[in-house]
Amino acid sequence: MEGRTGDDSHLVDRLRRGDPGAFEDLVIAYQHRVFSVALRMLGSRAEAEDLAQEVFVRVHGAIAEFRGDAKLSTWLYTIASRLCLNRLASSERRMIREGEETLTRLASSHASPAAELERSELEAALHRAIAELPEERRIVVVLRDLEGLSYEEIAAALELELGTVRSRLHRARMDLREKLERFLP
Amino acid sequence: MTCHEARELFSALIDDALGGEERAVLDAHLATCADCGRELQRFRDTVALLRAVEPARAPAGFVDRVLEAARPTPWPRRWWQALFLPWPLKLPIEAAAIMLVTVGVVYVFRATPELQRAARLESTQPAVMEAPRAAISEPSSLATSQPQETDRARERQYMEKKIAATPPAARDEAEQRAAGLKDASRDVDKRQDIDKQKETSRPAPRTESQVAAKVEAPPARAEREAGAAKESARLPAAPAPESRADALQARRPATGSTAATSLAPPDVSGGLAVSDRDAALRGLAQLLARLGAVEDRRVDGHEGSIIELTIPREAYAEFTRELARLGRWQPTREPAALPAQIRVVLRITG
Repeated sequence: MEGRTGDDSHLVDRLRRGDPGAFEDLVIAYQHRVFSVALRMLGSRAEAEDLAQEVFVRVHGAIAEFRGDAKLSTWLYTIASRLCLNRLASSERRMIREGEETLTRLASSHASPAAELERSELEAALHRAIAELPEERRIVVVLRDLEGLSYEEIAAALELELGTVRSRLHRARMDLREKLERFLP
Repeated sequence: MTCHEARELFSALIDDALGGEERAVLDAHLATCADCGRELQRFRDTVALLRAVEPARAPAGFVDRVLEAARPTPWPRRWWQALFLPWPLKLPIEAAAIMLVTVGVVYVFRATPELQRAARLESTQPAVMEAPRAAISEPSSLATSQPQETDRARERQYMEKKIAATPPAARDEAEQRAAGLKDASRDVDKRQDIDKQKETSRPAPRTESQVAAKVEAPPARAEREAGAAKESARLPAAPAPESRADALQARRPATGSTAATSLAPPDVSGGLAVSDRDAALRGLAQLLARLGAVEDRRVDGHEGSIIELTIPREAYAEFTRELARLGRWQPTREPAALPAQIRVVLRITG
């Protein structure tokens, strides 16, 4: 991501000038990262796509407000994180999620052993372990270890103190370390 | 430094986020504590697992869908959506609003006597055509019944004035003419069709046979024809005012020859409350015969009888005196200046 800063500033200039192709380039450049955060946070691909789309639509509408004192990527992560946390906090979403979790449990208990083997056991365990983290810890570990943001960027995106970022990240990793014990060498 | 304190710093150590002093103390602890050394290794392995997670990829077609969603909606669709969507919510609200406005209009109309008076003047005519009795007895009850008739009612009003301006003698003459023409119009149906076609193209004054055709026509048909006549009057090549009046006059006999004289509002109207209606009616018949008055029309109903009559002005004073003897006479309309032949509408109840 650091290597893209130069490209980003060029992209930001084009966006501000109203270059018709600039927004498309932005979506192409960031679609996977925004979608990835949404998927790790929400758990469902359909919901993640919906949220990622909302992120870009908001960016499109607010591009003039982007001041450029933060990186474009940080700005996108900020919008994505807030939308994810808001959605997770909504009561409607909580009910859907409880239903989904039940369904997931049922599905895995009835899945054939062959299908279980096909999917990487480690991968499944990792995703489950991340999904089970409390939301405020999950977003920090996703941004740091999956997306590679710095402590400062995370603090800016989530509007948190550096110390809070550090302690939440540590708790999340400790939690994951226990859950992934059997996969460690 | 305790083992617990040392392990709290592992995360920061891995991310290279420790201050120099913290780092030195931690290194010193790790050099002497094998357990913490092993624990640090497990911690590093865990983070390595996380960082090795394959990044998710947005689904195919995602970029196109985003571009589609971000494109501003064209204004007709925005308006449409703003007006009607979501259907289940906005349609009932809009329907309720229309109902509310309708109820409001009716309420204001009923609560405003000025409006009712205006409408009464205008709707006297259709009342006579469709419900003669109601029109005579309670014009106000019809005030709301024919709002769409306003245009026609205005034309009728115009006619009423014209007829009212006509001396009674001339009126009688018109009536006789219409009656006399009855016989000459046996195969009127065929002629009516021809006339209808002509009406739109020929602004010339009506022939007598046309007038006669109206006499024979059933009310509904007369209504339609009158509409056609009105249409012809509105055409750009509009007939002269006289022929327009003529066309309207053609409607007059259509209500039935007996109603011909009742087109104009009566000069005098009132109620006569009696104890024995039959006796009162007999008394009234005698009275009319004695005074030289003519009963033009009579409607007997469950609640009372309505009698339209014409009486010479010189006999009117005696007429009202005698009425007071027959029952309780309460005039609702009795102007100071009366014509030579006074048209009276009596409503006898009891």
